[in-house]
Amino acid sequence: MSGKESTMTASKRALSAVIGVLLMVAVVGVVGFTLHSASADPHKRLYATKSAETIVIDGKSYPKATITMGVYADTAQAKEMGYNTINKKDYVQYGPSSHIVLPAHTYVTMTIHGYDGGEKLNAPFFGKVVGTIGGTMNVDGVDVSEIPADQVQHTFTIHSLPSSNRDPLFINIPLQHVDQGDKGALPTLDKATNFKGHTMTFSFITGGAGEYVWNCEYPCGDGTYAKFGAAMSAYGYMSGKVSVA
Amino acid sequence: MSDDHGLVEMQPTPGQKLAAIFKQREVRVATAWGVLVTFIFFIIGGWIYPSWMPIAMSTDMKSIERLIVIFTWISAPICGIVLGFSIYTFLHRHKGDTPPVDGPGIRTNGLVVGLWVIVSSALCLVAIVYGLIEMNSASAATAEHKKNALVVEVTGSQWAWSFNYPEQGVVSHELNLPINRPVEFRIISVDVNHSFWPVQLGVKVDANRLQTTVVDTTPNKLGTLDVKCAELCGLYHAYMETSGEVMSAADFNAWVTSHQGGHTA
Repeated sequence: MSGKESTMTASKRALSAVIGVLLMVAVVGVVGFTLHSASADPHKRLYATKSAETIVIDGKSYPKATITMGVYADTAQAKEMGYNTINKKDYVQYGPSSHIVLPAHTYVTMTIHGYDGGEKLNAPFFGKVVGTIGGTMNVDGVDVSEIPADQVQHTFTIHSLPSSNRDPLFINIPLQHVDQGDKGALPTLDKATNFKGHTMTFSFITGGAGEYVWNCEYPCGDGTYAKFGAAMSAYGYMSGKVSVA
Repeated sequence: MSDDHGLVEMQPTPGQKLAAIFKQREVRVATAWGVLVTFIFFIIGGWIYPSWMPIAMSTDMKSIERLIVIFTWISAPICGIVLGFSIYTFLHRHKGDTPPVDGPGIRTNGLVVGLWVIVSSALCLVAIVYGLIEMNSASAATAEHKKNALVVEVTGSQWAWSFNYPEQGVVSHELNLPINRPVEFRIISVDVNHSFWPVQLGVKVDANRLQTTVVDTTPNKLGTLDVKCAELCGLYHAYMETSGEVMSAADFNAWVTSHQGGHTA
């Protein structure tokens, strides 16, 4: 450009600058909108059912609420159990939603019907029941505080987002696996089917409002990355959100 | 070199060269900017960085904090010179459509190049020596720690940490430690690689799959610990965080007693 004088007028330069800025804003806006849309949770929220009953724990009264989920070996099983999954891959999955909503400061009783088999947990710690009332859960009518690491089908593990401005919530529930030929108790839901399973029930108290996540700590994906591929690497199958509101 | 009359032309001394350089107004103004930038970075390094950093709850974290401050101070003059001349150039940039003809290229300036190399090398040398001294003192402390260390087996798994205290018979998802007692972390991953990072303790160590890595530290301040994963490890890496506490020996013993044979609820 040396020695060559530009003939662009000041008004044209200003107009070019304005158009340039507007184009940049438009590009950033489109990218932001696209990312926001992609991050929206496509799963319907599963709300806990509030009860009129209350319970006193350590001298403090809490309202009660209940919520029920299931974990299915594949999409076909989920659909047979009445869960119209939106998940596209034929992976093991929780249902009827991966996004659950719990009321704040409430005694929540959660029931999980588990229909899958299992091998062995990577980390034995997740065979233990953590964060529930009494440190126990009920498996087919029997209270237990842990499941042996080689008898777990999946876990339901809630933990917190990286932020200090919400009440801590850490819950770990190991689900008893279904053996070949298992004659264990059947959940009432599957009376019309041949699916054998176990029912795990546990209670915990929620804190204040906040966003948490849950995931399975059992390596139930494909062989990629220490069996943490496939279902374990895709949101909405063995992982999801917990909103306490 | 001599002229036609046989007189020897005196070469300017380095001091005279330097004086000649600083006689130029541009150099003086740019240098003033450089001094100002250096001063600002001294302030940022010494007073603002420490307030941005997490609370130091171990000697290791304090040592890291000190290292960052000193390295910032060491690099401040370099940054000052570069930014000082950049600021001067920006403020005195050409305005208008027709740029002036380029000036003659300066191929070398022995004094400036020499000073730049010597000063930069000296600053790097100080940084290296200081870093080695800090590392050596940490290693010496590690050997001393072994005698009375509390052993904590740290297991990383997608996407949560668990802590086993083998001598106490406690396993927990929270990292609770007694104050002023050395801790020996034995860190392992059971799936992919993670990185164990109890922020306030100044420890950040890779948790490698099925390989145990040992690291020591001594918590020396009561308070809450943030434990994170610092290695991108999959879908919920961002949520692979837990908390803990550095507590008094009495509180730690009480916590151990209440959880022995079980786990934290």
